[in-house]
This record gives sequence, structure tokens and C-alpha cells, in this order.
Amino acid sequence: MESTIPLSFDRIAARKAVQAERRRSMLIDLGVTLATIIAALLMGFIVIALLGKDPFLAYEALLTGPITRLGRTGRWLELATNLILVGLGVSIAFRARQFSLGGQGQMVAGAIVAALIAIYVPLPPLLGVLIPIAAAMVTGFLLGLLPGVMKAYLRANEIVSTLMLNAIVLRLYDYVLTFHLKPEGSATTRSLPVQPTAQLPTFYELFGVDLGRFNLGVILVVLGAIGVWLLLERTPFGFAIRAIGANEQFARYGGIDTRRVIMLAFAAGGAVSALAGVHLLLGVHRRLFLDFVGNIGWDGITVALLARNNPLLVPLSGLFYAYLLVGGDRVEQQAQVGSELVQVIQAVIILLITAQVLGDWIRARRARTQAEG
Amino acid sequence: MPSPLLVPMSQNTPYIVEMRDISKVYPNGVRANDHVTFAVRPREIHALVGENGAGKSTLMKILYGMERPSSGQIFVRGKPVSIHSPHEAIALGIGMVHQNFMLVPSFTIAENVVLGAEPVRRRLLDYKAAVAITRQLSAQYGLEVDPEAPVEAVPVGMRQRVEILKALYRGADVLILDEPTAVLTPQETHELFTAIRQLVQSGKTVIFISHKLREVKEISDRVSVMRNARLVDTVDTAAVTEEQLARMMVGREVFLHVDKAPLRRGEPVLQVRSLEYVTEAGVETLKGVSFNVHEGEILGVAGVEGNGQTELVEVIAGLRPATAGQVLLCGQDITNASPRQVRQAGVAHIPEDRLTNGAALSMSIAENLIVDRYERPPFTRGGLLQPTAIKENAEWLIEQFAIRAPDGDVPVGSLSGGNMQKVVLARELSAQPKLLIAAQPTRGVDIGASEFIYEQLVRARDNGVAVLLVSADLSEVLSLADRILVMKDGQITAVFDNTPSLTEEEIGYYMLGVKRMSAEAIAARA
Ligand SMILES: Nc1ncnc2c1ncn2[C@@H]1O[C@H](COP(=O)(O)OP(=O)(O)OP(=O)(O)O)[C@@H](O)[C@H]1O
Ligand SMILES: [Mg+2]
Repeated sequence: MESTIPLSFDRIAARKAVQAERRRSMLIDLGVTLATIIAALLMGFIVIALLGKDPFLAYEALLTGPITRLGRTGRWLELATNLILVGLGVSIAFRARQFSLGGQGQMVAGAIVAALIAIYVPLPPLLGVLIPIAAAMVTGFLLGLLPGVMKAYLRANEIVSTLMLNAIVLRLYDYVLTFHLKPEGSATTRSLPVQPTAQLPTFYELFGVDLGRFNLGVILVVLGAIGVWLLLERTPFGFAIRAIGANEQFARYGGIDTRRVIMLAFAAGGAVSALAGVHLLLGVHRRLFLDFVGNIGWDGITVALLARNNPLLVPLSGLFYAYLLVGGDRVEQQAQVGSELVQVIQAVIILLITAQVLGDWIRARRARTQAEG
Repeated sequence: MPSPLLVPMSQNTPYIVEMRDISKVYPNGVRANDHVTFAVRPREIHALVGENGAGKSTLMKILYGMERPSSGQIFVRGKPVSIHSPHEAIALGIGMVHQNFMLVPSFTIAENVVLGAEPVRRRLLDYKAAVAITRQLSAQYGLEVDPEAPVEAVPVGMRQRVEILKALYRGADVLILDEPTAVLTPQETHELFTAIRQLVQSGKTVIFISHKLREVKEISDRVSVMRNARLVDTVDTAAVTEEQLARMMVGREVFLHVDKAPLRRGEPVLQVRSLEYVTEAGVETLKGVSFNVHEGEILGVAGVEGNGQTELVEVIAGLRPATAGQVLLCGQDITNASPRQVRQAGVAHIPEDRLTNGAALSMSIAENLIVDRYERPPFTRGGLLQPTAIKENAEWLIEQFAIRAPDGDVPVGSLSGGNMQKVVLARELSAQPKLLIAAQPTRGVDIGASEFIYEQLVRARDNGVAVLLVSADLSEVLSLADRILVMKDGQITAVFDNTPSLTEEEIGYYMLGVKRMSAEAIAARA
């Protein structure tokens, strides 16, 4: 191509304007997020005061709870690790606009399979950790593949299928634990501990700093966030996922094998979510028991949404959300504020952050004042 | 419903609408209107022209309350107003039909017309009244529609009439039509113009945006030219020629005639054999279509829209399954192959519906430009995407096609209508295919870009590419194609060599089904 249409348009100037706006826009986003958090906290403050409780006491507990005692800091970081890992997994499918809710089941399934190896197979150091991790990832992958295939080839709704799978896996977990993993004659329903070589060492064990059960599993968070970012932003597979998420018809027309990509996006997400299960097993609890994962699979979805499915923001939102949870526990204990109220405040914060309205509004105002010049 | 026309003009203004010193900067920093002053007289047809991205739609969206101006004032019938929403615009008697339609496809035409201001009876939609209203408006303004047909089942021309009726029903006195003819066939355009004249007769005012200067000359009383966010001038249409208008718009001469090297026709690239297609609803839209497209030729497909052209293209491209028949590409059977396999076999496709299929509005220009090639070098190497290569490709194509965008990182959704089209064109024309399918390639783009696209299509042909051109614009087909095939009711009714003696009228007879070649004659030439 040689000829070009001449353009009566100053691209250099336009580029400068837009790039400057982009930089400012990032700052605005940051400012807005902070402002929303403050606004939400303020609302909670007023509500508590209106209910006749001491808002200062409650807020001191909420805001400083997770950092005033090393043990609680450890609890915060350990919980954040779990939430981030699930959040990363969930965000992969979400980016392809597939509402996979299978995080809970994938974690549990990953944990069982990893446990079978970690408890019963003596392995040398390092391999003792790596093999259960790999096994959990494969399990999560397969468990993600199933709803993926059902969605891509049979058009089964993924919300229904992942919820059903969660239910099945949780029942199966209870069954395997009660009838196979629980040692004969044990009074509580729990498995044997994992082999010493399979443990992810805690920071206490490593350096003597008593951060509770916070452990080396945090490496998985770093690798996971970078890995998922690379996958989504720097690989052709990630490009295909994003194209499908943006407009599936367009992706198909453009030559993307949409069914295959959708299926694999579910599976890849499952593999990452399963890491949370293996972290719980090898680093936090070191054995299985009933209700081993709690609410983590669900909270992980909130974390992904808060971060708008951006893998580099998931760690931040995970830390933030875990802070609210741990601080919330403190509020209940310290200020005699019921857990419902704490949850309401948490929900308000999340809602306000997810709503983008404020940022858009500020940008529109700025644009208006600018044009007047 | 009281007509706002009855509201007296306050003050002594000759204008029904006046926009003074309007500026608009979009939140992302793009300046779309720069101190624009634009005034419309009552009962005139006022054309608004300008290159893609000049700011026409933005100015009209401001008048219709969809965008807020960054600065400036609006007067309606001499009174200063500030219009915060389409609702308020409608209350002022301003109605708009958008570049991209906004109807509810599954609703009937009558339901769409009254939507938002439904006649009610016992708190329920009075459907009979809706149908009656639609019939009455339709008769009054000569805009023929079928009130009880669902919108998704009727051709674009009728959908557009529905949009106009909808605005009229809500009491529009000033009707803004944003590129109404871009999707219309010449016949439909003609009908629309008749209706517009009738509207003006009955006291309405029409603002008309178009890239087709011939239409502007034909229909408008005055014309305003926008360029680079500014309003260059407003003149009496009778006082300017098309060439002068073009020069005001782009600042240079524009030639829409095409220099083609003599035909060097090679082997057949695309062979279509007895192709049939039945829609899911059971309608036969292709009834045994057979033809070849050879290396180095442009085969033009003419026909009134809705006679199977869309389905033909989509079946070849793998977007719809053929019911029977065969499609071969360079001898390889690609019947019912996936779009992926079709692309890998060497087909590029400029889709007719560019916003549904052709682009992802939330993705960047750079990403949209590689959707068909992101897995190949230089865009992927060693399993990783190469941001530099992707960026350079975007910069090159943005420059080549004069896509009006600050850089490749902006989302396609923030471009003007015509510039979105250009992103799709840039990708497909740069794909280096064996077969290039171009469906309505110049729809919605300005004359400068049309000229460039013509050159690109001819260059592809001269380089041995087989080009299948589908266009509702007969003059486009006549100036580009080497052979012309006419489709009517899902069949080929004529095939011509494009000799200078071939006229639009002659082709028209076949398009309308007045004439038809014998099956043998068609088979011999197709
Ligand atoms: N929502 C938006 N956000 C940011 N920029 C926008 C938006 N809409 C339009 N623009 C920019 O404003 C400019 C003018 O766009 P506008 O749609 O008014 O052009 P237009 O004259 O109607 O062009 P066309 O003939 O292509 O329809 C363009 O540069 C476009 O990229
Ligand atoms: Mg426009």
C-alpha cells in the first residue's frame, strides 16, 4: 500500500491530550477508590453511632485489628493468600465472560487429591510439596474442563453446572473424609496430618516470627498473579479469551476457535483456584477436616470482581477484603457489634467500589472545565 | 397530543434551532466540537457533511440531549434551553434517528413506534390503538410500514421508516437523520426522499447527515460543512457544486473514478456449486447458486438488498451452514468449514454488519486489527504476544487508512461511526488473502476513504487476488467490477461482463425481476 488519505487532523496533539488524560485518569481512579472507602466507612460509623454503640471503639477494632497483634496479621495474610488464589482463578473465566462459580469445588477437589499424596506418599523435600501442588492443579483443571465442555459443546448454562459440581464435590469430600481418610477409632472427623516433607513452612518455622499460620504458600500468590497476567495479556490464548469476553461473534468471525478457548478458560481457572485448596492443606491446616474451606470459594469471587478481573489488582483487592474480614471479627469481639452489622458495612464498601459512577462523573466534570479554556 | 409547533416563536429569530459556540471534549480528552455555531431555519432541509470523525454525530447528540456540551448555548425557537436528556429534546419537538438503529427487534413495528409513550387502556398497552396510530402516521407521511410485523423480520429500509415514525409520534418538529441513507438501496433512498419532502410540506424541519454528496445536492436547501471539529461554512446548496463541497470537506480534490489495469484473469479461486440455504425459520434464501471468482478479477454482486446476498457471503465465510451445495477455495472443499478454517484457507471478509461481527467495541484498535492474525509472527513469537509488533501494525494501518484516532490503544467504541468501519476495512484489506469478500465496503465512510478503498480493491485485483464485491450501490459495482452478477429471490438472474455499454437501467431490470437471463446463458458466464 502506497497511497494514504491525507488527514486534516493533528494526531500528535490529539495523542498528547489523550495520553495526558490517561495518566490523570489513573490518578483519579486511585483517588476515587480511596474516597469511596472513606465514604463507606463514614456511613458505617454513623450507623453504629445511631444504634447506640461506640463507633470509635468499633472502628479502632476494624482498622487496627489486623495489625495490632502479629497473630492477627498472620491470619490476615494467610486468608488473603487463599482469597487471592481463588480470585485469580475465577478471573480467567470471567474475562471470557463465563460466570464460572466453581471455585469452591475446585479448591476442595484439589485439596483431596493433594491430600492423598501428601498424607500417604513419603516424598523427598521439595518434591513432597511440588507433587501435591501439581496434582491439585491437574484436578482443578479437569474439574474446570467439565463445565467448560458442557458450556462450549452442549450449551449448558455454566452457573447451574458449576453450582451442581460444587455440591457434588463437597458431598464427595465429606464421604471420602468420613469413611476413608479418618483413621480408625479417631473421635473427630479429620485425616492424618500431611508428611513433614509436604508441609509449606510457616514464617514462624522459618524465621521465628510468629505470624500464625502464614506460610511460604505466599509464593504461589506472586507466581500466580504474574502467571495469570502473562496468560491473559501476553499469550495468544489470553488474547482469544479477551476477544471472546469482548464480543463472542466477533471472535468467531475473526477465526478464533471459540468453543475450544471457552473450554480451556474454564479449565485454566480451575487449575489456579485449586492452588488455594492445596495452600490450605499444606500450609495452613496440614490435614483435612469437615468444612475445611469455609467461605473462601465465594469470597474469592468478590475479590475478583473488586479487582475487575485484573490479575495485577487481585492481590490488592484480596489483601483489602481479607483485612475487612479479620478486622470485622475483631469488631464483633471488641465492640459487641453483631456480625450482621459488620457484614452490612463490608457490603456497602464493596458496592461503592464496584460502582464506577463516581469516577466517570469526575472525569466528565473535568472534561467540561477543560473545554472552556 | 399538542404539537410544539403551536408554541409561538419568541423574539424575532429566523431560526428554529440555533447552536452557538458549542464545544465538546469527551472524557478521554478527544475534542469533537470546537466552537461550532450551527443554525437551522424552520421548514428547511439542512444537510450536515464532513469527514469521518469531523464531529457531526457529536453535534447532533448534543442537540438531542444525549451528550452534554462542554460549553456553548442552544436556542430553540429563539429561547435559550439546556437539554439534559433525549426526553427533554423530545419535549422541545426535537427527534433523532441514529446512525445505528435503536429498536427492539422482537417487538412489532407498532409496539416500537409507541414505545415510551404507549396508549394505555386499563393500565395495559392498547395494542389496537398502537396499530391504528402507526397506520395513521404511516399514511399521513407516506412512510410505508407493516405495523404488525416484528422489527427483526423486516428489511433495513422499513426499520428506518419505523425510527422516523417513532420520532414523529412523539411530536418531533425538527427531525435529525444521522446518515439515514448509508444502509439504503437507491430505491429506498428515493422513497425516503419523497417522504422527507412530504414532511417539510407539512411543516417539519429536517437535519440530514450524509457522505453522499449527490444526495445532499438532490435533497437539501442549505448545507453546513464540518471539518476537524469546526464548522467551516454554511451555504445554499444551489450555490455549490459537489466538487466544491468535497473540497470544503477534505481540503483537496477527490476523484471517485478508478484506473484499472487490463483484466488478467487467472484460475478460479472461489467455486460455488448449487448452493442452497434455508434459514432456521424455514425460509429459502439461496436457491441453487453457482458461480466462480477467478484470480485477478472483481466479481460484483448487484441486487436489491435482501435477495440472498447477505446469506451468500455468510455461508462462504463459514458464519452460516449451507443447506446443500458446495464451496471450493482453490479446489479445496470449504463447505461448512468453521470461520477459522475458512480464514486459514485464505479468505478475508469485510462483513456487512461491521458492528456485530467486525469489531469488539471494548477492545483497542490495535487488538481489533489483529484478531485474524494474532497467533502468527510477528504478532506471536515463542508463544508470547509481541506488543511492539502489535503496536507498529496499528500505527501503520491507522496512518494508511487515516483512522481518526490518537493512537492504537483507544477502544474502537470511542471512534466515530465511519472510523469504526475503517478499522475493519484496514484489517481485512491488509490480510493478503487469496479471496477477498467485500460486503458494502464503503458504507458509512467518507469520500476520501471511499476513494482509498476503491484503490485498495483494485490493487488487490491487480495483484491476483479474487475479489467478491457485494454492494447495494450500483455505481460502485459498475465502476469496480469486471463481471457483474445479479441476484433476485435467492437466485442468479443475470451475469454481465462489465463493458462500457452496460447501464444502471439495464441492470435494474434484472434486479427488479422484470428481465431474466436463460439458465444456459447464466451457466455459460457465471
Ligand atoms: N463516546 C466517545 N468517547 C470518546 N471519543 C468519542 C466518542 N464519540 C465520538 N468520539 C470522538 O469524537 C470525534 C467526532 O466523532 P463523531 O461521531 O461526532 O464524528 P462524525 O462526524 O459523526 O463521523 P462519522 O462520519 O464517522 O460518523 C471522533 O474523533 C471520535 O473519535
Ligand atoms: Mg457519525
